[in-house]
Amino acid sequence: MLGPDIAWYLAVSAFLFATGTLGVLLRRSPLIVLLSLEIMLNGANLALIAFARHQGDASGQIFALAVMAVAASEVVVGLGLIVAIARKRLDLDVDKLSFLRG
Amino acid sequence: MIIAAWICLLAPLAAALLITLLGTRISRRAAAYVSTTSVLSSFAAALVVFAKLWAESPDQRSHTSTAWEWLNAGTFHVGLRILVDPLSVMMMLIVSGVGFLIVAYSIGYMDGDDEERRYFGYMALFVFSMLALVQAGNLVILLVGWGLVGLSSYLLIGFWHERPAAIAAAKKAFVMNAIGDATMALAFFILIQHGQSLNFPDTFDVGPGHGWLVNLVALGLLGGAVAKSAQLPLQTWLPDAMEGPTPVSALIHAATMVTAGVYLIVRTHAIFEQAPRVQELAAGLGAATLLMAGLIALVQTDIKRVIAYSTMSQIGYMFLGAGLGAYGSAMFHLMTHAFFKALLFLAAGLVIHALAGEQDMRKMGGVGRAMPVTRITFLIGSLALVGIPPFAGFFSKDSIIASALGQGWYQDLLFAVALIGTLLTGIYAFRLYFLVFPGEPSPFVEEHLMHGSHAVGVEGAHGESHGHDTHEHRGEGPFSMTAPVLVLAVLAVIGGWIQFAPLWHPISDWLEPVARPLTEPTNTQEALASLFAVLLGLAGIGVAWVLYSARRWQVPRWALGQRLLEHKFYFDEAYDFAFYRPSVALADYLRRWFEEPVIQGSITEVAGGVRDLGFWTRRLQTGLVRTYALAIAASLVVLMVVFVAVR
Amino acid sequence: MGNVVVWAVWVVAAFSCLASGIAVISFTNPFYSALALIGNLASLAVLYLLLSAEFVAAGQVLVYAGAVMVMFLFVTAYLGGHADAPWAGGPSWQQFGAVLAAGAILVEVIVVIGLKAGGRLSHEAKIDSNFGSPQQIGRLFLTDHLLAFEITSVVLLVAAVGAVILGAHSRRSGTTAGVIHEREVRARS
Repeated sequence: MLGPDIAWYLAVSAFLFATGTLGVLLRRSPLIVLLSLEIMLNGANLALIAFARHQGDASGQIFALAVMAVAASEVVVGLGLIVAIARKRLDLDVDKLSFLRG
Repeated sequence: MIIAAWICLLAPLAAALLITLLGTRISRRAAAYVSTTSVLSSFAAALVVFAKLWAESPDQRSHTSTAWEWLNAGTFHVGLRILVDPLSVMMMLIVSGVGFLIVAYSIGYMDGDDEERRYFGYMALFVFSMLALVQAGNLVILLVGWGLVGLSSYLLIGFWHERPAAIAAAKKAFVMNAIGDATMALAFFILIQHGQSLNFPDTFDVGPGHGWLVNLVALGLLGGAVAKSAQLPLQTWLPDAMEGPTPVSALIHAATMVTAGVYLIVRTHAIFEQAPRVQELAAGLGAATLLMAGLIALVQTDIKRVIAYSTMSQIGYMFLGAGLGAYGSAMFHLMTHAFFKALLFLAAGLVIHALAGEQDMRKMGGVGRAMPVTRITFLIGSLALVGIPPFAGFFSKDSIIASALGQGWYQDLLFAVALIGTLLTGIYAFRLYFLVFPGEPSPFVEEHLMHGSHAVGVEGAHGESHGHDTHEHRGEGPFSMTAPVLVLAVLAVIGGWIQFAPLWHPISDWLEPVARPLTEPTNTQEALASLFAVLLGLAGIGVAWVLYSARRWQVPRWALGQRLLEHKFYFDEAYDFAFYRPSVALADYLRRWFEEPVIQGSITEVAGGVRDLGFWTRRLQTGLVRTYALAIAASLVVLMVVFVAVR
Repeated sequence: MGNVVVWAVWVVAAFSCLASGIAVISFTNPFYSALALIGNLASLAVLYLLLSAEFVAAGQVLVYAGAVMVMFLFVTAYLGGHADAPWAGGPSWQQFGAVLAAGAILVEVIVVIGLKAGGRLSHEAKIDSNFGSPQQIGRLFLTDHLLAFEITSVVLLVAAVGAVILGAHSRRSGTTAGVIHEREVRARS
């Protein structure tokens, strides 16, 4: 294969995942949280594709496509939630949305 | 014959069950009749058994019948087993015969009581229990009967349960009996452990070299006998038991239950003979009791208490007899005592009944004027008690006293004590008679008896009015009450004639195969003993006459002695101090330092702990998504390490 | 020569990937974050191409960047960009814990890959030109991975239904329009 080894791709994937985690844990706006979630999913996708290439097995790509579909669904539902919350005139701040507090 | 024996045993039980099940659906009188009839049928069945047994030759007179094998454990078998032999038949006759008379008497005595049915149910239960005790074919069934008579006694002493004194007395009786039950059970355990079958008529030979074991067993049995028969040191319950109705006192605490201890010793004499020291101890306890009880009876003011102490004393004689090995004499005295003691109690009951529940002798006097029949019967009973010929006590008591002669210094001491006892018996018995019956009626008696008013209520505070007014003429009780008393009076006269020791002794012969006596007094010893006993008895009567009837001399005043006797030698106080107070203190201590902090505290601690845990866990639920996400991320970190490390 | 080009492309794509990722989590304005994410997706598509996953790359751009992100941008526009400082708020240990967790994950993944895979990562399998092509993907979807295919469609359906429900207007009460509507209804009856 031309270019870098799989290992480099995997490193990028790891970085993306970590970045996404950081975003999920640090940001308070639900929109940004969703975006960070997307980054994490994409990081995972990259790893899948890399290994698919490494093994010569296209199942990894199938998996990646399925992940994409699921990510899309999840974004749809998440955005619907955010819109509903906004309509209720609540603050879009995950720290304030703690009604399930025990 | 076996069937008759079972009928004898089970008839009263059937009556008790019937009365219990039918409850208020039958009238009170009907319950009384059911109970009385069952005991009568028991007596009839016992007569049949006796006749059949008599027809056989002496060495064949032992039959057993097992209804059901109850316990089978290796070589140890226990069954529901009854034994028909001379000793058990004798007891059966006494229990059912005297029992029948007393239950019949109760029909009149308890008439009008609200809870009459319960009373007759309990009486039937008692008769059944006592029969089970005497007909038992092994020690286990005997223990069952033993416990049941204790229960019946408790139920009947506390019959008038609104009276706190009665309840307390019932508890006291039961607890003291329980002590005896415990020692008996321990004795049984030792026997079982040494491979003995507990069946009669197997001998209980534990073989040589087991001396101290046999002593333990005998001690355990003696403990049970002492508790049941109210001997030293477990005698304090008997006077208190007089809180029960008078027929109960007559049946249970004179004629039958308290004699169960004597029966036990005679039945298991084989064990006692292997533990001679314990047997001597039994004799000693009997002698000590008879002396002590006689002394205490001198200062009692309650009619029933005097008779109760008299019972204690007479049973002391029986223990003395059994302890000396004179089993036949002891059983004979048991029989005559049943007659005259029941007579005394029932006659006293007539007086109490007529005087509307009054039991204090000091208020009575001249009752004989209004109740001559009662007076005669009471006199007969007292003479029999003191042992004046030709009344019953003379024949039986003197044989026991005679058996003490010529065996050693210890037995001679017992002989002396027994004779002193006769003197005391004369004094207290006739003190009672002279204070109550002869002479001019006291003001109290005037009020109640002479004007033919009808009695209101029986002794005690349960305030029922009686509604029978047969006191009109001469103040005697109703026929249903006087008839049994008359029968007993006749028995008290002729009952002793069945054995006159040196000359003819059918009773001892009858019992010989079962309980061969260890000593047989010679004719001279008998004569000597009788002479002394009668003389001392007459002397006692004389003293009583002088002090209480003719009032020639004053009763000597000795404050210390008076106090000692009135407090019954301070036994109650001693037991209270030695047992009751420490137990209460221990219970209190345990409650304060263990029950509340530890047990209850642990519950509240656990509850508190759980609640605190809940509070802590609750703090995890912050409601903030970010914290949850952080938790997930953290667990992910940990899991990754685990998965890699564990592999 | 070809190797150098590929390396160069890789470096550029990887770098923009990482930069846009950091940009997403750093911007205060969600609009800018969304745009940064689009950049991220595009870089990823390039990396997929380098890994012979043509179909996936196409799908990434068309579906992900084209549809999903557009939807994101719609919603962000509808809601308005709220200013939101990245490090503000929350329990004090949240930021510290977050950095720690993220760092730990990163380190762990790299260590694991380094430890376990080690030398084997250098040898890739040989592939033919068919690899990653639409034909292969299509055939795999309809044969080996048919179940995944069907279930994915169900998931999408469920998400659509869910979105509809979530987006449906509530019973017109509480909002001003709802209150007016109520009054009208009551006046008429």
